[in-house]
Amino acid sequence: MANTKDVIKGEEVTLEIQPGMNILEVNKKLAQKNMELLRKHNVKAIDIMGSIGAGKTCLIEKLVQALKQKYRIAVFKGDLTTTIDAERIRRHGVQVITINTGRECHLDANVVARAVERISLEAIDLLIIENVGNLICPAEFPLGTDKRVVVVSVTEGPYMVVKHPFTFMNADVMVINKKDLAETMKIDTKQLEKQVKEIKPDVKVAVTNALSGEGVEELIKALEL
Amino acid sequence: MTTQIIESVLEEAKKQGAKKVIEVQLVIGKMTFLGTEQVRFSYNILVEDTIMKGSKLIIEEKDGVIECSSCGYRGEIPVVDDPAYHVPIPTLRCPKCAKAAKIVEGKECTIRSIRMVK
Repeated sequence: MANTKDVIKGEEVTLEIQPGMNILEVNKKLAQKNMELLRKHNVKAIDIMGSIGAGKTCLIEKLVQALKQKYRIAVFKGDLTTTIDAERIRRHGVQVITINTGRECHLDANVVARAVERISLEAIDLLIIENVGNLICPAEFPLGTDKRVVVVSVTEGPYMVVKHPFTFMNADVMVINKKDLAETMKIDTKQLEKQVKEIKPDVKVAVTNALSGEGVEELIKALEL
Repeated sequence: MTTQIIESVLEEAKKQGAKKVIEVQLVIGKMTFLGTEQVRFSYNILVEDTIMKGSKLIIEEKDGVIECSSCGYRGEIPVVDDPAYHVPIPTLRCPKCAKAAKIVEGKECTIRSIRMVK
């Protein structure tokens, strides 16, 4: 409850209230609710974050191909506009819900809760959520998933990790994608791995080439799936 | 985020039957992604057509605190000061035992107080 304190100055009444409202807490509470609902239905959930073009959708395609025999999968695909990526995933025979955010640069727990209402949780065991392509904002808004994954690709340069320490502090798994281009880009993936472990010592790392599927097994292991 | 802050302030002001909001105090944790300059900038634009117009915005920044579940360390966020990075990089590596610690403070964005005229 808000504490109020009246101060009378002349004829004006100045009211000071201390609502102590935590704006970020609202999303966190909704995320907690999502998590409880998913756990109640034994659905594992993963949030995949990363820059535009890092290879998130391609990785999800490969994850779906590798896991669809073992799990009944649904995918939420966050994008500002279009359903192009959703179609890419849908052709692998899984349910895909597009969440077009319009202008918002990230998904939040509220839009995820609304998307969850559109699927049958009894009919799935694994929910993969592809966040909007953006390396910064999504990290601030947990969605209620078991694991949070950040995908970076070697074409994004050697300083992706140290430039975004706060993003990686929120990650359980980091994927270093496009490993086939590392030599051309003069990127040492071992160095990126060392940097991320310096910021978040318990993060798991998978080095992948999402196009060929190389390293996807490593990622599945890191996700404990 | 600033829109949400303003909406919350306006809602509270409406509840109290205020004619005008004259001061808002925020606490923003340094481990959030919120830049105080940007919050200030958008605040002034967004309050324009509301009873918050002209109100004073006071922002207090709160330092990050981590806690280590392995050794019990609790304290400020350590940094990696590698000259190659030019600026110190915050880390969740526990300064005592080097295991992974968790952020326990510095992730808040709280409306501490609102002063309004009734």
